[in-house]
Amino acid sequence: MIEVKGIRKKFGDLEVLKGLDLTVNKGDVIAILGPSGSGKTTLLRCMNFLERADEGTMYFDSDVVDMHKADKKTIHNIRNKTAFVFQSFNLFTNKTALENVTIGLTVARKMDKHKAEEIGKKLLDKVGLSDKYNSYPSQLSGGQQQRVGIARALAADPEIIYFDEPTSALDPELIGEVLKVIKELADDGMTMLVVTHEMNFAKNVSNRVIFMEEGKIISSSGTKEFFEEQKNERVRNFIKNILKKGE
Amino acid sequence: MKILSLIADSFFKILIPGIKVTIPLTVISFSLAMVIGTITALVQFADIKYLKQLARFYIWVIRGTPLLIQLFVVFYGLPSIGVVMNPFPAAILVFSINEGAYSAETIRGALESVPKGQIEAGYCCGLNFLQIMWHIVLPQAFKVAFPSLANALIAMVKDTSLAANITVMEMFMVTQQIVARTYQALVLYLELAFIYLMFSTVLTKLQTYCEKKLSAKGAR
Repeated sequence: MIEVKGIRKKFGDLEVLKGLDLTVNKGDVIAILGPSGSGKTTLLRCMNFLERADEGTMYFDSDVVDMHKADKKTIHNIRNKTAFVFQSFNLFTNKTALENVTIGLTVARKMDKHKAEEIGKKLLDKVGLSDKYNSYPSQLSGGQQQRVGIARALAADPEIIYFDEPTSALDPELIGEVLKVIKELADDGMTMLVVTHEMNFAKNVSNRVIFMEEGKIISSSGTKEFFEEQKNERVRNFIKNILKKGE
Repeated sequence: MKILSLIADSFFKILIPGIKVTIPLTVISFSLAMVIGTITALVQFADIKYLKQLARFYIWVIRGTPLLIQLFVVFYGLPSIGVVMNPFPAAILVFSINEGAYSAETIRGALESVPKGQIEAGYCCGLNFLQIMWHIVLPQAFKVAFPSLANALIAMVKDTSLAANITVMEMFMVTQQIVARTYQALVLYLELAFIYLMFSTVLTKLQTYCEKKLSAKGAR
């Protein structure tokens, strides 16, 4: 469904992505693991053009896109088929939960307000926020805000959702409620690319795991194979250390 | 007794040009200033080539020169190159351009206070730049800028007295004329000051009320 080839990205002299390739098939839930500064977030941001890659080609459905030169219209078309969930939620603080979910429909897609609200309410119900339609983000907990963020991502009926460390800004006791929602999406067959530090989530929900280090993918395999038959010693150690910390 | 009847006689003579001239002058100039200030701030915020430099230049010149001299340049200076204006429109022109430069900086600061992540989220929701500005950034920035802008409005009410210098028949001008007839400078100028104080007090109350309303909605 989506394939990217040869993505490179530099910030000043620092090369953050060193020419990596990635293929995402429909229904894939891919966990992206790796130490801080390995380029996981940058990869995700480049794929949604929040960051402009220096080089790279994207094959999205039948489109071929030069990731460095893509024009506004091309980017807009790609964004219409994708959604993004941020580490820091980035909800619109002047809008209610429901308005956060519907604004993409009513403003960008000119959908009728009642129809959009119907969709928005359904999505907020899905993420367990039926009683929070009219709450402002400041009135919600971090976990609730992130669930609004997920409902907002779903509103545009995307082909793929990118999650950028969706639980890293949350208190430990709130992580579970967000992961549960993401797992439900996985069960529904949603295609997702999830940057995460939650080993158990990667183990239990994803069907493929990618390990990044210093701007490169150094290990990529099916989830079971990744955790149980990991050949790369560096990756094995990383997994061991993180799992130890979790205990 | 003579003083009291002087105050009573002159009160409406001063107040009426206040209502007929000072208030419209302030309201029109300030509204235009908001439009100029918002556009000037947006041009810089969006980092539009050339226009951004032009905006910086405009702000630099206007903030760096006295308001009174700007009034003189427009009203007494421009006729020598064939641009003749009536006092009232000339005053509106100068006040709005002057306040526009100051409020542009206030508004730019407020725009930058809105977290960048919300702009990115807006793009991810399929909105374009102007839609993000209109629905997300400007409403939040307005809340941040409001107290400073309200201050600027109150300052402008008082600054309109400078328009007397270019023969606008506003409150100060009218009071000067009464003083010239009666020689009661102290009483009349205190009376005028009191009327300005009344105007400012109403605006201050209004500001407090609006700030309460604003913070009630979507508090953060």
